[in-house]
Amino acid sequence: MLDPVTLEILVTKVAATAEEMGIALQRSGRTIYVKETQDFGTGLVNHAGKLFCFPTTVGVCNMADNDASDVIRAVPELEPGDVIITNDPYRSGGLATHLPDLHLLQPYFHEGKVVCYGWCFIHSADVGGRVPSSISPSNHEIFQEGLMIPPLKLVKAGKFNPDVVAFIEANCRTAEENLGDLKAMVAALAVGERRVAGMIAQHGIEAFAAGTTEIIEYAAKKARDAFRTIPDGTYRFTDYLDDDLVSPLPVRIHATMTAKDGQLDIDFTGTDPQIAAAFNLPSAGKRHTWLTLRLLQYALTRDPSIPINAGILNSVTLHIPSGSLLNPVFPAAVGVRHATGNRMVDVINGLLAQAVPDFVRAAGCGLIIPVVLAEPADEHGKRKVDVVEPMTGGTGGRQGMDGVDGRDSSTSGMANNPVETVEASAGLTILRYGIRPDSGGAGKWRGGVGLELTFTPHQSGSQVLGRGMERFRFVPWGLLGGRCGMAARTIKNMGRPDEQELGKIDMIELQAGETITVMTPGGGGYGDPFERDPELVLQDVRRGFVTQAAARRDYGVVIVDGVLDRDATAALRADRELRKDTLFDLGTERRVWESVFDDALMARINGILFQKPASARQALRRRIFAPVLAVIERDRPFDRAALEAAGQAVRVILAEMEAAEAGREAAA
Amino acid sequence: MSLSGQSQEGMPAVGIDVGGTFTDFVVVMPDGGLLQHKQPSTPADPSRAVGEGLRALTARHPALAGRTLRIVHGTTLALNAILQRKVADVALVVAKGGRDVLEIGRAKLKTPYNFHLGKEQAVAPRDLIFEIDARIAADGAVLARPDEAAIDALCREIAASRAGAVAIMLLNAYVDPTLEIELGRVIAARLPDLPVTCSAEIWPEVREFERAVVACINAEVHPLMGAYLAKLGGRIDAVAQNVLQLTSSSGGMLSLASARERAIDTVLSGPASGATAAASMCRAAGIDAALTFDMGGTSADIAIISDGTVEFTTNARIGDLPLMMPVVGVSSIGAGGGSIVSVDAYGVIKVGPESAGAHPGPVAYGLGGTEPTVTDCYLVLGFIDPDRFLGGAMRLDKAKAEAALAAVARRLHLPSAAHAAEAALRVATVRMASELFKLLAQKGYEPADHVVVPFGGAGPTHAVMLAEEAKLKGVTVPTAAATFCALGAAVADLRRDFVRSLGKARVQAAGERLWANWQALEAMAEEWLAAEDVPVVGRHLVHAVDMQYAGQSFSLTVTIPEAVRAAEDVQGVLDAFHRAHEAIYGFREPDHAVEAITQRLSIIGEVPKVALPELAPGDPSPPARGQRPVFHGGAWLEAEVYRREDLGAGSAVTGPAVVEQDDTTLWLPPGWRLVADRQGLLVVTRENGDA
Repeated sequence: MLDPVTLEILVTKVAATAEEMGIALQRSGRTIYVKETQDFGTGLVNHAGKLFCFPTTVGVCNMADNDASDVIRAVPELEPGDVIITNDPYRSGGLATHLPDLHLLQPYFHEGKVVCYGWCFIHSADVGGRVPSSISPSNHEIFQEGLMIPPLKLVKAGKFNPDVVAFIEANCRTAEENLGDLKAMVAALAVGERRVAGMIAQHGIEAFAAGTTEIIEYAAKKARDAFRTIPDGTYRFTDYLDDDLVSPLPVRIHATMTAKDGQLDIDFTGTDPQIAAAFNLPSAGKRHTWLTLRLLQYALTRDPSIPINAGILNSVTLHIPSGSLLNPVFPAAVGVRHATGNRMVDVINGLLAQAVPDFVRAAGCGLIIPVVLAEPADEHGKRKVDVVEPMTGGTGGRQGMDGVDGRDSSTSGMANNPVETVEASAGLTILRYGIRPDSGGAGKWRGGVGLELTFTPHQSGSQVLGRGMERFRFVPWGLLGGRCGMAARTIKNMGRPDEQELGKIDMIELQAGETITVMTPGGGGYGDPFERDPELVLQDVRRGFVTQAAARRDYGVVIVDGVLDRDATAALRADRELRKDTLFDLGTERRVWESVFDDALMARINGILFQKPASARQALRRRIFAPVLAVIERDRPFDRAALEAAGQAVRVILAEMEAAEAGREAAA
Repeated sequence: MSLSGQSQEGMPAVGIDVGGTFTDFVVVMPDGGLLQHKQPSTPADPSRAVGEGLRALTARHPALAGRTLRIVHGTTLALNAILQRKVADVALVVAKGGRDVLEIGRAKLKTPYNFHLGKEQAVAPRDLIFEIDARIAADGAVLARPDEAAIDALCREIAASRAGAVAIMLLNAYVDPTLEIELGRVIAARLPDLPVTCSAEIWPEVREFERAVVACINAEVHPLMGAYLAKLGGRIDAVAQNVLQLTSSSGGMLSLASARERAIDTVLSGPASGATAAASMCRAAGIDAALTFDMGGTSADIAIISDGTVEFTTNARIGDLPLMMPVVGVSSIGAGGGSIVSVDAYGVIKVGPESAGAHPGPVAYGLGGTEPTVTDCYLVLGFIDPDRFLGGAMRLDKAKAEAALAAVARRLHLPSAAHAAEAALRVATVRMASELFKLLAQKGYEPADHVVVPFGGAGPTHAVMLAEEAKLKGVTVPTAAATFCALGAAVADLRRDFVRSLGKARVQAAGERLWANWQALEAMAEEWLAAEDVPVVGRHLVHAVDMQYAGQSFSLTVTIPEAVRAAEDVQGVLDAFHRAHEAIYGFREPDHAVEAITQRLSIIGEVPKVALPELAPGDPSPPARGQRPVFHGGAWLEAEVYRREDLGAGSAVTGPAVVEQDDTTLWLPPGWRLVADRQGLLVVTRENGDA
């Protein structure tokens, strides 16, 4: 056991080491992903493959629970100066989660023995595959997503392995930049190695070696206390991706959490099978950083002094059915797994909302849409492609505090682009970049409003692309009487006679003078909106977050010409009972869908699907849902009657399948 | 009474720095003599302590009687008012479609880990933001110009609101500010009671959110600064004939008129002055690479000095708001002497981030503090003398500090209060060293190349411990260590920065524009300098460009050598960028297109420099005033106690020792020695000689 002074000193030093590695990586990195988006991570890993430190001010925020144990096992013979590389989600045991993420791991030696490992990853510009940048939602197997690198030695005894480098160079569209980033990563690992050697020199090998596990245990103890605030019990929650891209069928994520004395066991049985698009999240069936992010945030919100490392999740176990969306089997495509990761934040948040409703927020916007403008080719055949804005929305309200308007960093710490910078480099005029009134779920504590972006391209034939279009159907939910936020929308030529609702766009071509508007969801509200202080509603109306009409309709607050009418408000509010009955307001579309496809029916369907091998599930799922696919359309609200009829037809199909299955079993 | 036009060359320069506890005065006499004074601050009306201190100073020193004084004042009044939101409500006027520029900001939250935290409070709430149909294109063309009726309506709305000041930020006005300035003039004419700030007049740099923040802050502190400066002027005039100037966030100073119109330039001036003084000390002492270490009761700040020049940043923050203008790069690395020492529920020691601040302060102050602080640790370890703290102005209660730290020791299973105190200082030092490493890593600097220049009440006490932990080159303690910011004010040059954004221009094709822009900026700068009416003995210009490789949006500010600019040598500009890129990022791409984003010009008007008097040669082994036990490395040692005034040039002291002066104490641990040099600096190095 380390003494309590040395422990604190080592906690401070290893955290600073992770940070310094990140700073070194950002400084010497080559591509925009590293330098500006900061899509990278650094840290130190112990013999068990767990991170015992993680930066807080550089890089991504969602990797502290990464697990490198499979990679350590995969390359057992190591000598000083070796560096392992991998980007393969399946062969790295979920350390990498899509192919553009290049992970490096370097053993740090002391007197001939490995004491710990330096780790870093970057999101590279391109690793080959079907499309530039390697990521496309419509990829349906990982072979389309680029070069797969199983764990192997990129650097041997301090020298780059030319064979490996040649392979990588030959398979990437941006070979030179990738090599630049790889060199920066190796440099960052060298910084970690120097600092580790310094700590060993100052504090001794015994103390440092003990630190690699005791720092994790210290975080675990503190986090466990944070989790003890979750009352013992079993909690269930479901949330959805709007559709699986290849069809309008919703994709379901279901979780059951059992809490006991701060121990959290989460079972994802009931989650849909892996899909034939790139939204699968490859967790390798282990506790996984993308699945536990909201729990990490929960612990740190309860106790911001916990050192950030894998220990925070020590008292969490996950059960993730093989071949499901959250544990796909090879060769499922995974490029856009962050859309599912965003929804996972909502799922865990929904579990916590039942356990500690006075602590968590209602659902946030649940998406990031990087809106991209691709201009027509110039005389040299070159096309200018610019990210106009990475669009998020609002966060949910919580006890005592409104949601944050127009900002949500739950899975990304990304900054936006100044309008002036965008207009200086891309051929467009931004007509409005602002908040979206009334989009925040009504509540005693209002959901943060979403955003609205309207722009017009200067050149005809310009194309607008929007990845991550989600929450068009299923909206951010409200909590404890708070209402849900508004769904996302895209509109062409808004406010003109030829205005057109576009729905989810993959790509749309515009002529000069035409406009496109992208609206993101607001967060869910918290508490009954009729209990909201009328003065706050008045302030919202004055400031334009809520319209006068919505104040009356959603809040029962009567405002005339900017003045609050107290008597009319009291009368209107007296007229309605407070809503205390339901914990969640899930929105109309979800209520309609679940009135047909409830837990029981979905359990039957997934029961049949999960008996089959993963490879057969997609076709079978389409067969089961054939009657539904005939009556639902993307970008169209569900027709309740048609959906109910389709549900009956699905039950018939299911009964036939179950009977056939029973027959086969009997015959066997 | 202002004495414009009068020669300021022969005037004593009085630097005044208002701190939370004391208002410091340093007078630099024309012959190089230094006078110092500390006056208790009067937070409710800071100008009172300034007036009283000045009166005490002139009464005490006959040399000042009847003289006209050049007074350079540093104040945190604006900063405090901004942080506490005790400022005027600002009406912000923006182009149509941009009303949410402050709500959206750069779309970031403070931390992704704590989902309870919200975003910063907008500098102007949405109901005080007014859209007007005034739109400038990215190339500067005016797309929409408001008519009379629209301006009438706008002014009526502003007049009817609670706004006490107006800020204007039109999209793309950084390219051509004409429309914004025209609109500003019209509004000012119709609303004569409200001060009006135009964003592009204050700082015409690309990025609308950051520029709007600059305009709003300048507007919101304008009424307050105007009132304060008027009152201050009255108090000073009552004591002496004077010329009043203010320190700026860039470590220089400004005329009273400039400070009134551009209050934003003074907001972060406090810590900047100390860094300025340190830089000038380093130049005089021939120190290339240094870290200032300004540690007081509530904060520990560092700034980096390279080649004798303090480094600037364009990423400073005022509370939660970004400040895009270049200011001296002062970074906090800890909470200072007031940092609280505690033991958490798991038996692990913690130092900070909570601070007892100045009130109640450390346990030993006897002002009601119950939790031991870093200052209590110094006392218990014997580094500071309870009877001589702040020159004996405040008697410290050592027994109370010991009792508080004994409780910490019990929880840590350590044998004594001194053991706990030493452990706490180790933790505090490691924390500060870690923060320092990160800051140096961002620049690619090596800690071992840097000398620490400590000042502030606790700087010299902690500096050698920091140098040891961070393996720094050594420590050089300036003469007026505890009134260093006031000294910095007294020696500050006149300085202002100018900027022009280029959008994204290919450097290879933008040569003509570069030179033309600089000529325009130079004309503006010279005009400003002349209007400042502060006689200077010399002036120089620094030209710089923010550049990046095409496709990046992470630009580097590169200073352009005078020869390159004089020869209008575009290739020279490119070479300077490639060199800078390689130095900081480790690679260059000579065949890649380079984009210029922003052009910069700094004008520096030098005030007369005075050579500080040399220290008379002293005894190489000066006599100690006594001994006292200090706790170090788990044991009590006898340390020699010296007075700083007993050290002459060439005097040497070997650790363990303490060197006391009126307002601070240097702790010299075993293994370190110091030599006083001819400038009166204490040069501290490791005893084994290297470094």
